[in-house]
Amino acid sequence: MSRRLLMLCLSLMSLGGLAHCSKSPQESAQPAPAAPTTAAAPVKATAMTVIQEQQASWIRNFNPLIAPGTARWPTRAGVYEPLMVYNTLKGEFVPWLATKSEWSPDNKKLTLTLRSGVKWSDGQPFTAKDVAFTFELLKKHKALDFPAVWSFLEGVQAKDDTTVEFSLTRPYVPGLVYIVHQPIVPEHKWKDVQDPVTYTNETPVATGPFTEVKVFQNQIFELGRNPHYWQQGKPAVESLRFPAYPGNDQANLALLTGELDWAGSFVPDIERVFVAKDKENNHYWFPLVGNTTTLYVNTAKKPFDDVRVRKAISMAIDRDQIVKVAMYGYTRPSDATALSDAHDRWRSPEAVAAGDWTKFDQAKANALLDEAGLKRGENGMRTLPDKTPMKFDINVVTGWSDWVRAVQLIAQNLKQVGIDASLKTYDFSPYFERIQKGEYDISIGWTSDEPTPYHVYRDLMGTETLRPIGVVSARNWNRFGSKEADGLLHAFEATNDPAEQKKIAGQLQMFFVQNAPAIPLFPGPSWGEYSTRRFTNFPNKDNPYAKLTPNSPPENLFVLVEVKPK
Amino acid sequence: MRHLLRNLGLYAVAAWASLTLNFLIPRLMPGDPASIMFARFAGQLQPEAIDALRIAFGFTNEPLYLQYFTYVGHLFQGELGLSVAYFPAKVTDVIATGLGWTMLLAGAAVVISFVLGTGLGVVATWRRGGWLDSVMPPVLVFLGAFPYFWLAMVLLYVLGFVLGAFPLRHAYSDMLAPAFSGEFLLSVLHHLVLPASAIVIATLGGWMLSMRSTMVGILAEDYITMANAKGLSQKRIMFHYAARNALLPNITGFGMALGFVLSGSLLTEIVFSYPGQGYLLIQAVRNQDYPLMQGIFLTITLAVLAANLLVDILYVWLDPRTRAR
Repeated sequence: MSRRLLMLCLSLMSLGGLAHCSKSPQESAQPAPAAPTTAAAPVKATAMTVIQEQQASWIRNFNPLIAPGTARWPTRAGVYEPLMVYNTLKGEFVPWLATKSEWSPDNKKLTLTLRSGVKWSDGQPFTAKDVAFTFELLKKHKALDFPAVWSFLEGVQAKDDTTVEFSLTRPYVPGLVYIVHQPIVPEHKWKDVQDPVTYTNETPVATGPFTEVKVFQNQIFELGRNPHYWQQGKPAVESLRFPAYPGNDQANLALLTGELDWAGSFVPDIERVFVAKDKENNHYWFPLVGNTTTLYVNTAKKPFDDVRVRKAISMAIDRDQIVKVAMYGYTRPSDATALSDAHDRWRSPEAVAAGDWTKFDQAKANALLDEAGLKRGENGMRTLPDKTPMKFDINVVTGWSDWVRAVQLIAQNLKQVGIDASLKTYDFSPYFERIQKGEYDISIGWTSDEPTPYHVYRDLMGTETLRPIGVVSARNWNRFGSKEADGLLHAFEATNDPAEQKKIAGQLQMFFVQNAPAIPLFPGPSWGEYSTRRFTNFPNKDNPYAKLTPNSPPENLFVLVEVKPK
Repeated sequence: MRHLLRNLGLYAVAAWASLTLNFLIPRLMPGDPASIMFARFAGQLQPEAIDALRIAFGFTNEPLYLQYFTYVGHLFQGELGLSVAYFPAKVTDVIATGLGWTMLLAGAAVVISFVLGTGLGVVATWRRGGWLDSVMPPVLVFLGAFPYFWLAMVLLYVLGFVLGAFPLRHAYSDMLAPAFSGEFLLSVLHHLVLPASAIVIATLGGWMLSMRSTMVGILAEDYITMANAKGLSQKRIMFHYAARNALLPNITGFGMALGFVLSGSLLTEIVFSYPGQGYLLIQAVRNQDYPLMQGIFLTITLAVLAANLLVDILYVWLDPRTRAR
């Protein structure tokens, strides 16, 4: 090979490398407003900086129908909007694109009245046709039907411009939440979309407060106001900025340096780390309205099929210590109903009083285990009646540090009553596979996150969600199904009378407390932090108009329209 | 030339082996992406949603060998499939957002580190026993023992967070749109300093020491004595007679190092929120995003193979012995 040819090769290669290097950032460039002259220019006071997703670079995707979490936040509730928004703190559905919902007397027909005068961001009117079209899309493309509305829907009809009628296959009142939380897309834009399942919808036309994509680069994007928004004078915030942060550490760093106005991340020891930096402006609010962190025991296996053993394990656990040591005191011990504060309105005092098995009581735990025939051996450890030692792993996810600490404490607690339990960490995906297939003895986990206790209990003790061991089950990881609970659940589905619902919910709680299908540990905090340096009117404990966290759409809509520049 | 052709054959085999491993490894891991996605919304999705997700991602229960043929077939069409974590974006699009940045960071770091380290090695050996020779190696080896990301964090904290001399994150200022302007390029450079320094500091010692040890051997050679006897200038002897011959092992190391630096720069990128492949890979692993994982490993593998090929070509040019018949 001659030297000249070689030099040519080399120079070509280096050129190729250069061309590639310089091309890729250019390709991802979008037309952006004229850049300020200095790189360190302060952020415009009217742009609110938010972090909800942790990503290193942004992919442009504003499709509200695909799996939650795949499109950029707040596509589902902020760019697009649902018909109503359930407000967890107020315990009611707030009218949004729909003003009213009405059930037929047999609870098999739901009629929604829509708000008139709402416009899409391109100025076209929003009508009942758009709603019917959206639900038809879900019917045609199974992969878009995440809430599984077509498992109970028969048909959707636009009666006139502002009335939509949903007919159901059976009375199913809890289905309301899935229908009204569905983001609605415009028919005139989406009827020509080839495949809505893989559509990235780069320039959204929507009804929400923020519909204009002002900037979209790989490390930052900015959304501007919808010129036709139906709430007069809202939103007060001119635009939302989203810098890309790859992980919790980077996000927390940005929170501490005062770059972020609103976040929803877990910050350890927040008083010292965040609030103390700027007492006047740095605030957080962690109401206990998430789901409940729960210790699952596999009730399909001995000895966990015995209710006395489940209650004994629960009594052996010192929840006060776990809450203080593992959770930085952000939460409190759970009562025996397993309901978090999101369901406070439903809580039955009788059931709470009957549930003595979430109180720390080693003597009682030991007595119950003895009674169940699990005798202590020579070494003080218990064995099953057939002499196999009671030696169990408690599964937890590697790196979920708060839960890992909680499980360490639980393992110590159980050793004290003669059960040889030890911590076992798995990466998320094998952990999740084990709990779903029922291939575990004890595992820490979470409960469902829905407006009523119905779902919490359906997923912990209904037979509908029960699958045999070895088959993946989305819920009911404890493998506990009861016909009696089924009866109560069906009764709940068929009634629309609040008093009746509350009565059945109380009976469900009582049933749960008597049978202990799973062992609740503590209600989960809903993480939210904000800074009042540039914006005010965030929800907090003095003004709890909504959840503060950006992590539970569609409730973040309340915050998006209420926050004001200082 | 024959030497090159034989190497090309080796590269083809290496590429095939890595493609196959690339296909197998993710599939041997437990769990599946749909359930992970489900879990991300701890309890907010309906059980039926899992089935819907599986349909959306097009998971098949085809036998493995069929999946393998489809995979290889698509690969030759430049098709890497749809990403799961960034659904429904194409893997090629996702990788394109970060590839340029990773190449810039790793490339700049390797070149700077190589040139600087080798240069230091040459000078230190030439002035054996001087201050450079006695102070630098232990210091650099000490620094080189730290993992990249740890150095990155220290730099970030001291120079970025405490002193505020450099930006804490990203590849360019959020206020700028990418453009070919002096201002944008300056911003890119300013953002590159800390992450590149972390890699350079960690790798400098290796280059310097290996250069030094070969140089010491070369200096004892007869032709160096001969060159001295001929009265050539010291500079000419140092670079043309000693350094050029001592460079050979380091050049071989260069190709290998690129692989290590690429993987190391992934960690550095995460510390500085640098929009490269590093975090993409983590996202892919967390979400069991096989197509994206495969795509990223593929680009890394090909980059390392290409670098080694380049090194081979350079070698032919540097070492006349490889040009023999």
